[in-house]
Parts: sequence; structure tokens; C-alpha cells
Amino acid sequence: MTLLAVESLRVAYGDLTAVHDISFSVEPGEIFVLLGANGAGKTSVLRAISGLLKPTRGTLNSEGVSLLGLRPDQVAHLGIAHVPEGRRIFPNLTAEENLDVSFIRQRSKETLAQLRDRVYGIFPRLASRRRQTANTMSGGEQQMLAIGRALMNTPKLLMLDEPSLGLSPLMTELMFEQLARIRDQGASILLVEQNASCIDMATRGLLLANGHTMLSGDHAKLRDSDFVRRAYLGV
Amino acid sequence: MLQALLSGILVGGVYGLFSMGFSIAFGVMRIVNFAHGELVMIGMFAAFFAYSAAGVDPLVAIPLAFVVVAALSAVLYLLVYRRFVGRATLQQLLAAIAVALILQTSATLIFGPSAHAVRSNWGSQYLLIGPIFLSYAQLAAFAISVACVLTVEAVLRKTSWGKAIRAVADDPEAAQLVGLNSQVINITAFACSGALAGIAGAVLVSYYPVSPHVGFLLMPIALIATVLGGLGSIGGAFVGGIICGVIQQMTSVLWTSALQDVPLYGVLLLLLAFRPYGLFGRVSAH
Ligand SMILES: Nc1ncnc2c1ncn2[C@@H]1O[C@H](COP(=O)(O)OP(=O)(O)O)[C@@H](O)[C@H]1O
Ligand SMILES: [Mg+2]
Repeated sequence: MTLLAVESLRVAYGDLTAVHDISFSVEPGEIFVLLGANGAGKTSVLRAISGLLKPTRGTLNSEGVSLLGLRPDQVAHLGIAHVPEGRRIFPNLTAEENLDVSFIRQRSKETLAQLRDRVYGIFPRLASRRRQTANTMSGGEQQMLAIGRALMNTPKLLMLDEPSLGLSPLMTELMFEQLARIRDQGASILLVEQNASCIDMATRGLLLANGHTMLSGDHAKLRDSDFVRRAYLGV
Repeated sequence: MLQALLSGILVGGVYGLFSMGFSIAFGVMRIVNFAHGELVMIGMFAAFFAYSAAGVDPLVAIPLAFVVVAALSAVLYLLVYRRFVGRATLQQLLAAIAVALILQTSATLIFGPSAHAVRSNWGSQYLLIGPIFLSYAQLAAFAISVACVLTVEAVLRKTSWGKAIRAVADDPEAAQLVGLNSQVINITAFACSGALAGIAGAVLVSYYPVSPHVGFLLMPIALIATVLGGLGSIGGAFVGGIICGVIQQMTSVLWTSALQDVPLYGVLLLLLAFRPYGLFGRVSAH
């Protein structure tokens, strides 16, 4: 069943329409990328899905359940986790406390400690930082923590808003590899990026410009499109 | 001097206790609750009522004050403060002042405008250590305050509810995204904020007379203690309260008790000018 179906989604801030009637869907096992330059409307799409803002029109469904009108915590309880732009970890909590508060018992077959250990398995750096206050961690570690925190929701769909922002190319590559591993463990991924190197691991995707869909299709179509090549890959 | 320092610390413990409640409402919900002093006043009256109606010692009536003020706070949250979460606006301040006046007036209607004091046998006795004398009531008040503060700190550090509260205080939006129901957390946090005021009231009334207007004397202390301790730092507010107590006692010994609050306000102004994030300031999410 379709994990996420977005139909004719429109988001407006007052007079400014930031997202113009876009549609896409994410199927189980996918890594779907939402590409676009700054101000294209990517964050607005994610915020609408997770209930942080109310779309002007359109529908949002997850496995046949409408997300419209749900609070963000209710969307999280349905298994849609959102790693927001700029990480937004809890700065005065330790790394481990950041994970603990994000544990949704009803969604997990594992105990808190088991799930935590699984996250530490994916991000060993976090295990060595567990007692450290989150704001003293490096940018890369904070990004791992933000993703680890979302995994504590036991999500079926993991949405990430520009996780590569502020990371070195090497760190970015490492993080993308970890996302592929997370997908292999059963979660689907909706990845928002400006960084086109993520196309390599995408199954499908959509290119957004000024709130409009410029292009949408599978991995090959994104990779071979002149538009993406010119705008992002500099070829 | 030493006398003033010690009694300042003792009195300051109770200040710290209700300041911690004030600081929770601010830290978690960004609500500046100008009616917090009135919540202490209600706690004082609840304990006084138990004493005058049934002869119960105020310290034994702590659970009563706790429940009454926590419940009242939850109701006030749902009726009024819920609308202002995250926004310490002028409207919010006015609404809180309106709540304060309503509570004052209600207390006046029920108990009359005059001050009432509890006269217990042990409460008016003093412990003499050389030249220093300390009132048993204040010693007990301090011990109870410290116990409460340590309990609250432990709950905030160790329990999942406490961690959730701290997460909301750090970043309410991110807290919702990870699945925390902010309404549930806010209402319980506000009730907790009131409960601390209630306990402080019951403790305070064992040595300090209660009148409907006592809240307006206490409120500035909570504000100053919170700024001293660092806005949003819940443990810092307790230390801030103790500092307030010491400054007050020192002033009344070295100068005059009529003006014991003047240096306190001076400290507030200096702080706002030079250390707006307090002595124990901490990072915010943005
Ligand atoms: N809270 C807001 N109020 C008004 N305009 C906004 C707000 N958030 C975003 N916008 C505008 O909406 C457009 C899309 O923004 P956004 O969704 O953040 O894009 P992206 O994430 O792709 O950079 C931009 O023009 C931005 O200025
Ligand atoms: Mg964005």
C-alpha cells in the first residue's frame, strides 16, 4: 500500500503561494528525493505532511489514512518521522536523552534499551557521546543524533530536510550510506536535498522550482535529465 | 552578619521553591505568570484553612495545598494560559495580571482583607547556636523546600515525563515532531508549576501571615530569582531564590527592613543590563 500519497498539495503563506499543486507518492522500500534550490518550497512540503502547517488545498494520505488535520505528534505516531531542517536536536539534553524522549512505545516491538542499541549500532559515534550534552557535539554528530532520534519513532517513512547541510562532502557521503542502510532495514525514505549527489541512491524523485514540479520520474530519468545535469551537476 | 546570612538562606529556600515553579512555566511555555504570587497565596490560605478549621499544622496540610493549587493551575491553564503558549506578549501579561486580581478579590471575599497568622507551639521557638538564633519554622521550611527542589530536579533528570518537559522547553516544535503531545506536557507542567507554589504557600504560612495581597510581595521575588538563575534554568531559579533571601535579610540588618526590597530591584536592573541570560545562563535552541 502507498506509504505516502500527496495529491495536488498547495501551501500558501498569506498571498505568497510557496507550493503549487504538486503530487507524488512514496512506496515501501523507496528512497524518494525532492530536489530543488533554496526557496523552491521543499521545506513547506515536509511541514505540511507532518502537520506543522495546514495546506491550502490537496490531500495527504498514508496507507489510506488521511493526514489532514492531524497534529505533528499524531503524524509521528502513525510512523512518519521528520528530521527537520537545521537538525533541531534538544540542545540541553544529552545525546541519550534526545533518543529517549523520541521513543514511541506503541510503535516498537523492541524495548527502549534495545532500540537505542540499534541506533548506536547504526551510529557508533553516538554511543561514545551518550552522556554528552547535545549542543557540545559536532555538526556531523548532531546530524546523526537528529536521524537517530527519528529512528526512535520506529518510522515506516523517514523524511529528512537537507541533512547534508553544513557537512563536509565526506561526511555527506557517509550519511547517505547510512540512509541506504536504514532503508535496507525496512524504512522508506523521503529525502529533501539541494545536493544532487543524492540522486545516485534515489529510486525516484521530483525536481521542484519556485513551488512548481519541473520534472518527476525514476532514477534514470533524474540522472539523465539535462535540467538536473546543468543545474546541479555542473556538466 | 552571619545571622542575616543564615536567616537569608533559610527564607530564601522557600523563595527558591516557588521561583522554581515560576521558572517552569516560563521555561517550558514561555509564560510569564504574573499570578504566580497569588498561587502561593492560595496555597497559604489552603493551609491556613486546614489550621483554623481543623487545627491541622500547616506542614501537615502540604498535600492539601499541593492538590488545591495544582488543580487550580490546570484549570487556569485550560481557561486562560493555553492561548498564550510560546508567546510572552503584552496580552499574556495583562491576562495573567487579570487572573492575579481575580484570585486576590476571591480571597478577600472568602477570608476578608486582613492578615491571618498561624500560631503553632513549635513554630515560634528558636534554635540557639551561640549568638545565632534560627526559628524552627524557618528551619523546617528550608528543609522541606530543599527536599522538594531535589525531588523536582530528580524527576526532571530521570523520568520520561521530566525529560519530555525539558525537550519541550528546548524546542517545542521539534518535541512535537518526535511524537510528544505538547498539550498534555504543557498542562501537567503548569500544574506542577502551581503545585510548587502551593507547597511553598503551606510552608510559608507556618511563619509568615497570609493576606489576599501577599502575592504581590512574592511575585517580584520569583521574577528576580528566575532572572538571577538564568531565564529558563529551573535549578538556577532555586539558587536565585536563596540569593534573594540573603539580599533581603542583609538589607534589613545593615540598613532598614522597610526598604528590604530596594536592593533586590537594583540587582534585577543590573542583571538585565549586564547578564540578561542570568548567572547560570544556558543555550536556547535558536
Ligand atoms: N513562515 C513563512 N512565512 C512566509 N513565507 C515563507 C515562510 N516559510 C517559507 N516561506 C517562503 O516560501 C517559499 C518556500 O520556502 P521553503 O519551503 O522554505 O523552501 P526550501 O525549503 O525549498 O528552501 C520561499 O519563497 C520562502 O520565502
Ligand atoms: Mg528548506
